[in-house]
Amino acid sequence: MSDPLTEFLPGEAREPAGPRQRFVLDDSGFDEVPKKYRRFYRKWDGPADVLASNEVLCPVCKVVIRSTRELRVGDRVYCMPCMSRLIVMRGAGGRLEARVAYG
Amino acid sequence: MTTEGRSSGAGSFEEPHALGHDQFLDEVHSFEFWFQAVEGYLSGRPYGHSVGGDDDAPESDSARDALITTLCNYCIGETAALEASSGMIGFAPNRHAKIFLATQVVDEARHLEVLMRRLADLGVKDAETEIERRANPALRHFKKRLLQLVDGKDWEAAVFAQNVILEAMEFTVFQAHAERTDPITREVLEGIIKDERRHMGFGENDLGRRLIAAPHIRARLAEVRRELDPLVLDTFEHTLEQVGVPMDQRPELGRRYLASVTRLGFDE
Repeated sequence: MSDPLTEFLPGEAREPAGPRQRFVLDDSGFDEVPKKYRRFYRKWDGPADVLASNEVLCPVCKVVIRSTRELRVGDRVYCMPCMSRLIVMRGAGGRLEARVAYG
Repeated sequence: MTTEGRSSGAGSFEEPHALGHDQFLDEVHSFEFWFQAVEGYLSGRPYGHSVGGDDDAPESDSARDALITTLCNYCIGETAALEASSGMIGFAPNRHAKIFLATQVVDEARHLEVLMRRLADLGVKDAETEIERRANPALRHFKKRLLQLVDGKDWEAAVFAQNVILEAMEFTVFQAHAERTDPITREVLEGIIKDERRHMGFGENDLGRRLIAAPHIRARLAEVRRELDPLVLDTFEHTLEQVGVPMDQRPELGRRYLASVTRLGFDE
């Protein structure tokens, strides 16, 4: 089993520095979690779906996870629909991805 | 849509990503979370759907018969999960897991109920007999082995067989089926898929934590996988054929189904 915290090679991509962008999240109609959490998730529309800098796709259940701040490598997010803890990584294609952190 | 803008701090209290891991697990493994989650997508959908008017179920005898066979086999899988998850409560390793499994029991019973109601809509008079008559032998064997693992109080193997292997297969197959079926069956399946997210996520995460803490269980689980793989793959292939998934799309669905076992390191 891969360890998401050691798999990322930080030298491969220059990570942004400075203050993070902030985001106001609106309700996307996602209905699989309690109301107070719904704006933090949205349905994924498939591979053509372009994710914003505060969004990452859950690899377990394919729901888009959203944050009120720009996401960066090393951030932790939770996927409530499938109860997973995830760490934000820089994927091979240069985009932000989430890997499951079991431990 | 996500709107870029200044935050006034709104969301900082409820931002779920700010929770500690223990707090997060307390929250999501609760009946309170479950109640509020299922309310969002089940309210106003008696027997799993809100479609009124005509039933656009297949009109040809052969297409209707194929749908009935598929739903009968879904009933086998849901019955297996209902019996297994209820049995697992007794030897679940902690109270969070017991509470979560209790919600899963309710989910599985609901799935069985809505599928049997759909069979009745399609003209099946005696669902019990029809389910037995149309059962895929490989799926029936899988159910038997799953319940033996539960009877043996083997937590890791039971979670692996049920919440990782069976749930991942159902999640993948139901999504493929929902994309190419009538509106009522689609809505029924979409409601089930939303429940399956919790079930398979629970399984993968519980097992992932256990594999880190006790790596020696990996060999035993690999053995379980070797035994169950042919049964699951046979069922998987048959069902994809029944629901009309073209041959060239099946390998991708197979990869999706295997993604969770691969993430857990069972990628032989």
